Amino acid sequence: MSGHSSWPEWVYIGVVVALLCYVGAEAWNIERIVEHVPADAEIIKVTGQQWLWTFEHEDGTKEIGELHVEKGKAYKFEITSKDVIHSFNIHDYVVLLDAVPGRVNTVWFSPTEAGEYHIQCREYCGLIHYNMRGTLIVEDKGA
Amino acid sequence: MKAIIGLGMVLGLLMILPAIQYALAAGDEPGEYLDRRVEIWGLFYRLMIVAFTVGTVVSGMIVWLVLRFRESNPKAKQTEYEEAGTW
Repeated sequence: MSGHSSWPEWVYIGVVVALLCYVGAEAWNIERIVEHVPADAEIIKVTGQQWLWTFEHEDGTKEIGELHVEKGKAYKFEITSKDVIHSFNIHDYVVLLDAVPGRVNTVWFSPTEAGEYHIQCREYCGLIHYNMRGTLIVEDKGA
Repeated sequence: MKAIIGLGMVLGLLMILPAIQYALAAGDEPGEYLDRRVEIWGLFYRLMIVAFTVGTVVSGMIVWLVLRFRESNPKAKQTEYEEAGTW
């Protein structure tokens, strides 16, 4: 088209592309930071099965439906499933990862406040899915 | 022109590759303690700001275009095709 100036369009495209690049880079960076497991994180094996959660600490202690952890310490969850796909979720600490049979998925977190928090399956896994719950109990050091 | 574009691409690659390598290598080091709630919700709010900014700019421009170029706008001018009667 004659006499048509296209520079505002290029500015518009440039701004939108720059924002999209920012979105991608920022999301990628935070994901990388969040996935970095501290060297001293304690490993807890988490197993999902219809319809309960089992936890095994590094020292061999096992818990069913309840998980006791210490405030301020880092924990790395190794999550798997015995039967169908479940999803391990601690809503208050933004922990959410699928439990898949034959596969170990890992996620880590560090509780910052003592108290009791809900653990819930977030993948529909059968009749009693709604009640596949647990309790995370965060205790103060030395309690 | 082709040579400039080619040179630009090569220089761009030379800048990008070490940055990628550095970023990926960082994944092998042990991480530091952090509150994932703060990081993840912070990311969510920042991206929501971007999303709403883009939404505002795009929808604002559509509204402006519709109002500015409507036939009943006093500033509206006929296109050359309309003037020539070929459309």
